[in-house]
Amino acid sequence: MSKDSLPYGSTHISPRAIATIAYNATMESYGVVGLASKNLLDGIANVLVKDPTHGIDIHFDTNRLDIDLYIIIEYGTRIKSVAASVAKTVQYHVEKAVGLPVNTVNVHVQGLRINEEDAHG
Amino acid sequence: MADAGQKAREGAEYAGGPVGGRIFIEWMSAGLAWLKTNCDIVNSLNVFPVPDGDTGTNMLLTMQAAVFEAGQTEGEDLSDFVQAFAQGALMGARGNSGVILSQIWRGFARAVEGHAELTVPVLAKAFSEARDTAYRGVVRPVEGTILTVAKDMAETAEKFSGETDDLLHFLEHVVEAANASVQRTPDLLPVLKDAGVVDSGGKGLFYIFDGALRHLRGESLDEADFEVRSLVDMDFESVMEEVEEGQDYEVIVDFKPNGGLDLQKFYSDLEAMGTSIQVGEGSGMYRMHIHVPTENRYLPIDYAMEIGTITKVHIENLMAQMDEIEARAKDHFKLAVVEPGQIAAVTVSPGRGISKVFASLGVHAIVGGGQTMNPSTKEIVEAFEDMTADRIIVLPNNKNIIMAAEAAQELTVKKLAVIPSRTIPQGLAAMLSFDPDGDFEQIVAAMQRAISEVETGEITTAVRSVEIDGVRVEEGQIIALHNGKLVLAAGDLLEGCLAFLEHADADEFELITMFYGEDVTREEADEVAGKIQERYPDLEIEVQDGGQSHYQFIFSIE
Repeated sequence: MSKDSLPYGSTHISPRAIATIAYNATMESYGVVGLASKNLLDGIANVLVKDPTHGIDIHFDTNRLDIDLYIIIEYGTRIKSVAASVAKTVQYHVEKAVGLPVNTVNVHVQGLRINEEDAHG
Repeated sequence: MADAGQKAREGAEYAGGPVGGRIFIEWMSAGLAWLKTNCDIVNSLNVFPVPDGDTGTNMLLTMQAAVFEAGQTEGEDLSDFVQAFAQGALMGARGNSGVILSQIWRGFARAVEGHAELTVPVLAKAFSEARDTAYRGVVRPVEGTILTVAKDMAETAEKFSGETDDLLHFLEHVVEAANASVQRTPDLLPVLKDAGVVDSGGKGLFYIFDGALRHLRGESLDEADFEVRSLVDMDFESVMEEVEEGQDYEVIVDFKPNGGLDLQKFYSDLEAMGTSIQVGEGSGMYRMHIHVPTENRYLPIDYAMEIGTITKVHIENLMAQMDEIEARAKDHFKLAVVEPGQIAAVTVSPGRGISKVFASLGVHAIVGGGQTMNPSTKEIVEAFEDMTADRIIVLPNNKNIIMAAEAAQELTVKKLAVIPSRTIPQGLAAMLSFDPDGDFEQIVAAMQRAISEVETGEITTAVRSVEIDGVRVEEGQIIALHNGKLVLAAGDLLEGCLAFLEHADADEFELITMFYGEDVTREEADEVAGKIQERYPDLEIEVQDGGQSHYQFIFSIE
């Protein structure tokens, strides 16, 4: 989708490749405990997903790269700070790997995970 | 209890006695104070994931919110205070490191719940629970960060909890473990090792508990910890240029201390003699650097002889040096001044010589930077923000700087065009098409075209053994990059230059410009140029003082 003309041919970077980079960055981001299917109708079984294309939307439109993340956050963390830092981390890693400026990273907090420790105490 | 509290406030040594909530928060206030004192150090360590330099500030604001919230608590009960403290940290959590810190306190508070006083077993359990809670907040924990430091502290706490019931003694072990853990972070996280720093968040966590410990020992929290750098990192250039009046001599002494060196004492002894103190350490050798008044010029040497064996002494009269610096400044180039309505050109340059060439081509501002010192977006914006021009062209001249330059558009209302120049010769070629009075779009297009009309060669020494793009390189070999891509490795500089020119089909071009770097003398550069001329008698060869670091030569082939 992203296309560069180079002397030896051209490079195509698929949204899925970008999603994989974003997925890995999200998983290393503190406070994020999972990605959620953006469509809650998919059901609870799908809430925590392993496939990077679920829970991450990549929109690429002539040199404008926008990323939507649908995440689950650890209960008891400050959501605003976690969301800001995951957006920053994803932007940094995608820009570093792909070499394209990221226009926006939108973070959608789809749910909170409550630990057993919190549930009991 | 009131007595014990009073004692702690005065910073007297901790003499035991029950520790309720109010006293514990005093310890944490001391941790906050110590973190604040050393905030700049923590900020300066920040490299990952985004080098903002605000880890210290974020942790500080988080701790402030925690201490403030705890201060609203009534009574003496430990549990009540710590719950409020953790709640404050949670609400005030700023940035990534602040969020992790708030989770550490959340776990800590959970373990303390229901305990009216702090004891060694309670504190040990609190460290364990702090670690567990912190680790639960992330799917893939990155080791070599504040998480690792929290883990190592917990492990030490678990180990010593049965061995002592003395809180001070216990805390000493844990803080020592924190310090050791911080020092190990570069071994776990390569990005830290590459930058030559320890983890900032881990260091911040260490300062919090070290501050509490210092308070218990009655030590000062006002004077910043100082950094002992590695010998290679000591920046004498910048120190030298900040000469204070009365500090006429620069003294540098290399020595090996007899036995251990008490750094705190060493540092304060030096402070009594002079200013601009820097201390470097490398495999047991120390280097001290100090500026002293004339009458004190032998003091640092005598002092070093008392505490160790001197291997090298260097004394220089700074006044004479200053004269030299001023003389050099006279030789400065003049940048073009932009008139209202004109287009301004801003370039990034890695060295004086190259800056001079850019200046002669009419650039209006220069931002220092290159391969290993990429300027920030902010620095780029600052270079043109105060200019009278509202249309700006930026030449990044390095592929790692292009993005920072493009991001500058977000921070300014001025119209910005970034010419994606990846090398110095590309930037120079683009500048040849620049016209401050021309049509903006046309000039940008012409400059973009000009980039592809020049071939770039960069010759440098490999800093590690790698294999990239099928080229095998051993550390210390000379390598050549053609238009930014590694193409070959060679045994010596001349061989590397000749092999590169052959690779770039130099005989099909007309002009070669060689910019020699700061590590190469004019004579060496002329010698290499002579050999090149022998090989390519039909080409015109020009040798220029580039002054760039790292690259012995930058070739421009047209």
